[in-house]
Amino acid sequence: MIGLTPERIAEELRGYSARLSEGVQTLGRIGEIEAGVSARDAVYREDKLTLYRYRPCAETLHPVPLLIVYALVNRPYMMDLQEDRSMIRGLLEAGVDVYLIDWGYPDAEDRRLTLGDYVHRYIGHCVDHLRERLGQGSINLLGVCQGGALSLCFSSLYPEKVRNLVTMVTPVDFHTPDNVLTHLIRHVDVDLMVDTFGNVPGAMLNFAFLSLSPFRLAGQKYVDLIDVIDDLGALKNFLRMEKWINDSPDQAGEAFRQFAKDFFQQNKLVKGEVSIGDRQVDLRDLTMPILNVYAAQDHLVPPAASKALAGLNGSRDYSELSFQGGHIGIYVSGRAQREVPPAIAAWLLAR
Amino acid sequence: MSDQTETPTAPPNPFDAEFLIKQARSYLAFGEQMSAFSAQLHGRFQDGEDWGSMLRQNFDRFKAATLGSVEDAGTASEHDQLWTQMLELWRQSVSAIGLGAPVGGETDAWRGYMQVQDQYLDLLRQSASAALDLLEQRLRDRAATGKSIDSLRELYNLWVDCNEKTYGQMLRGAEYGELNGRLFNSLLQCYSKREARP
Repeated sequence: MIGLTPERIAEELRGYSARLSEGVQTLGRIGEIEAGVSARDAVYREDKLTLYRYRPCAETLHPVPLLIVYALVNRPYMMDLQEDRSMIRGLLEAGVDVYLIDWGYPDAEDRRLTLGDYVHRYIGHCVDHLRERLGQGSINLLGVCQGGALSLCFSSLYPEKVRNLVTMVTPVDFHTPDNVLTHLIRHVDVDLMVDTFGNVPGAMLNFAFLSLSPFRLAGQKYVDLIDVIDDLGALKNFLRMEKWINDSPDQAGEAFRQFAKDFFQQNKLVKGEVSIGDRQVDLRDLTMPILNVYAAQDHLVPPAASKALAGLNGSRDYSELSFQGGHIGIYVSGRAQREVPPAIAAWLLAR
Repeated sequence: MSDQTETPTAPPNPFDAEFLIKQARSYLAFGEQMSAFSAQLHGRFQDGEDWGSMLRQNFDRFKAATLGSVEDAGTASEHDQLWTQMLELWRQSVSAIGLGAPVGGETDAWRGYMQVQDQYLDLLRQSASAALDLLEQRLRDRAATGKSIDSLRELYNLWVDCNEKTYGQMLRGAEYGELNGRLFNSLLQCYSKREARP
């Protein structure tokens, strides 16, 4: 039975309003929220892309560098969000030499960039830069989410340049029954969208992500914020995450067109029908060791979408790591910090 | 090439306190609505009426307001702020990318878009109504096991759970997928230079 009385509700609402009033003042004083904490240096630039090297902190460094290829959607500082939530820091501490591609923010002059530009040119040039710089014939690649799909394409096309491949929360089969993003985009006229916008606005993609759980992500989350509004540390953590969620770069039009149509709508990656530039991607050409990391409660990239890689690759050394968490938790949860970077590092260092 | 702090041409993305305030207003509206509900429930319960039937009457009233089938402007307006979360998100996104009603009068394409938006709203209404059914059922289940709801936040969280549940079911359905596509396409058609398809 509802034990609530009007008096009790009025008391709660008074308390809530008072905390809200204090909270708004605190928010006004908190200043800029920084994200991305580990020291790094830019080592290569091309167009809007910047290749960073994170400064090593372990006494012994593995000679083969690891290049992180993040998604084009959202910003890569999720991998290095704050002191106690940094996948990159975990890898550095384990002795991995970490590099990361920051794609920057595409603008009108980038609307004609294709997936061919991203895979052959941008990833290709970064990989070649590291191979030359470090005198390595091949390097390690870690692709994250959409960046994982791009990494699969690159590694299939240039297997001789990739020593080991790690994919993280990476969609491979886009037509598993539980893939909600595919369900949402299936009836969207992607050609009309790209022809109309040029570059696809980040706000549109943000809407799609929030629409998966609007009562929690756009309502309850802010009501709950009042509970921690006087805890400066917790408030900054919240704002850091908010910054990341809302920091959605526009998507280069032609690359978006191909990714949305070929990967999401037509599921060509699993059919061996994706063409990057003039070359066809065949996942059976993935002959290097592969570690496929997925999140068991991932609502964006369902585990089945990632695990499809098992039956499609040509590697004799394929393994999976299941993380008990979601698509965001795999980067920032306490459990992730304890489990994921050490496991990836151990897998890499053993090869 | 040392570059420890630079982020390539990052646009500012400050946290918008207005958004927090907006959600807080919705929560306060929820509280006021539940306060009226609670007053009615307790007053009539003391008069000896059956708790279950009173609960049903109140939820019937909420549902009617949600579905827009009664003239109860006060209740509907408060309720709107809560269950139209999704439509509000859509409108904010459309506004954020600078799309709005065409200058110089409504076009056929714009009217077509508004019709699709109305259909979208109808689907959201059905989901919200189903959430109220679920909430009522959960309250009955709790009552049957002697569990009480002792705070507004607890009731709000339960209401959110119910809405996420019914919304999630709707989201994964074929009708929503098709309508979501038409919502995007009809909006884009308003700004497209491409000739309308037959």
